[in-house]
Amino acid sequence: MANGICVYAENYNGKIEPVTAELISAAHKIKETTNEPIQAIVAGSECEALVDQLTQSGVDEIYAVKTDRDCAFQDDALSQVVAEMLKKIDPSSVLVPATPMGRSIFSRVAVKLNCGLTADCTELLVDKREDGSYYIKQNKPSFGENVFVTIVTKEGYYPQMMTVRPGVYTPYEGAGEAEVTYFEDISLPESKIEVTSAVPAEAETDSILAAEVVVVGGRGAEEPESFALLKAFADKIGAAIGGTRPLADTGQIPFQNQIGQTGFTIRPKICISLGVSGAIQHTEGIKDTKLMVAINTDENAPIYNIADYGIAADLNEVLKAYLEL
Amino acid sequence: MNIAVLIKQVPVSNDVSVDPVTHALVRASSEGMINPSDLNAIEAALVLKEQTEGKVVVFTMGPPDAEKALRDAMALGCDESCLITDRVFGGADTIATAKVLAEGIKKYGEFDLIMGGALSADGATGQVGAMVAEYLDIPHVTEIQSVSYDAEEPDKVTIIKKFQGLDLTIKAALPALVSVNFGANEPRLATLRTKRAAKSKPLAAYTNAEMGMDPEKVGLPGSPTIVTDSFEPESDRKAEFLTGTPKELAEKLKELIETEKGKE
Repeated sequence: MANGICVYAENYNGKIEPVTAELISAAHKIKETTNEPIQAIVAGSECEALVDQLTQSGVDEIYAVKTDRDCAFQDDALSQVVAEMLKKIDPSSVLVPATPMGRSIFSRVAVKLNCGLTADCTELLVDKREDGSYYIKQNKPSFGENVFVTIVTKEGYYPQMMTVRPGVYTPYEGAGEAEVTYFEDISLPESKIEVTSAVPAEAETDSILAAEVVVVGGRGAEEPESFALLKAFADKIGAAIGGTRPLADTGQIPFQNQIGQTGFTIRPKICISLGVSGAIQHTEGIKDTKLMVAINTDENAPIYNIADYGIAADLNEVLKAYLEL
Repeated sequence: MNIAVLIKQVPVSNDVSVDPVTHALVRASSEGMINPSDLNAIEAALVLKEQTEGKVVVFTMGPPDAEKALRDAMALGCDESCLITDRVFGGADTIATAKVLAEGIKKYGEFDLIMGGALSADGATGQVGAMVAEYLDIPHVTEIQSVSYDAEEPDKVTIIKKFQGLDLTIKAALPALVSVNFGANEPRLATLRTKRAAKSKPLAAYTNAEMGMDPEKVGLPGSPTIVTDSFEPESDRKAEFLTGTPKELAEKLKELIETEKGKE
């Protein structure tokens, strides 16, 4: 019978990704109810070093496959290894980071195991069926973030497999010593993917992605007069300018500067949001700001759920006053 | 090079709410459009087509009105399209969606490259592309910036993908599938002339009568996962409101910015 909460230890260049510790936290929450062992699976060419990074991470068991070459992005081959590992381990659930790498590998694994893959969960809750067996309620945002849905893996499909959004669970503070098993009989098949070079991306100093201070305009700033004030304000405080989709659609900002789910994700220190309602498909694109101030006449605008400070006033008047300071 | 592009018609607005009694999703508007990153996939496909000759066929699975998205794609320059539509395909999760798309592509013909947008604006799982690749048993690379073809290496494409501050160059043997990031290029616009031309371009409609798939293995019955509930997120207002005259507000704002800038 399927048993165990399995965590995929995403890794690149011989390093376990920090998000793994968050998944281990999520696994411990499940374990509190189901009392299953927590398992980590890892595959890579520098396998021993990867296993070393996991032994004290708070998992009970580690399953590892040493590959004969670096296999990052060779997901046609790596997914085969992972699927074979999961068949041997037979866990009841598999937690995967909701990262480009995680969803790329496990989409293929889900097809190989015909088990489904719930995307981008923000909350995992354990519930009990009538026959006493446990299952996981996988809560995730949908339609931007306007609604949340609960997804359940149908009875009879195992493992319950899901990707978990990074940044939701606090990293687990490691403890204990894990038992390590190497699967010597699983080997990496040939791949039709070859990474031929990896060079640091050119410094994008004038790009919005690198800016420490960003002014973001929304529908409330799309009148030419407002946008001119926004530009002057951004100049004055030394900020890059980004915008929501409605603003990008007016052509006043280049599409490269559109922020949000259908644009880029920015991580500025300071973000001043002007006339943005804060539909989550936009606010998704702004992470880890130290200071976020929003100006929007609508006191009920969702932007105020993520801003540190709010100014419910006409942005034209506030900006004019700022420029005169 | 013959290219298949997978697109999705998404709601123009993500403005949905939950009916408090039935827990069904209530959409503010039923208006649909081509998913934004799919436009980047179409653009990349058209550039490759112009360079290599061949055709671009755009596929979608959805209700009959998704024909509009296909006509829009053909107005951008795609040559042919295929609408996969049947009630038995409805309610599908990513697995059951990918299974049907893969079958539709196989039925339509042979392709050297299959493309799609990286994430949809509504579901945003980013999974269907890689799943289609697995069903077709071809390699894939997701969330890419660009793809190019060099006649000196006719059995491959070269892909640029960004990852953790790196620009990766990746070669994929054909046939392959790639998913293109939003913003990776600047999609062309349709003109009156191309819109008119799109009306007479071929549009194949596949129902399950043509596809012949086991109804138990597609749609809701063929989906390993199921939505059991929907709810609205709790409001957690966080902002502290500042008050005063515009001048006072501007001064407070300036102080906040300068204090934060002064921190390490």
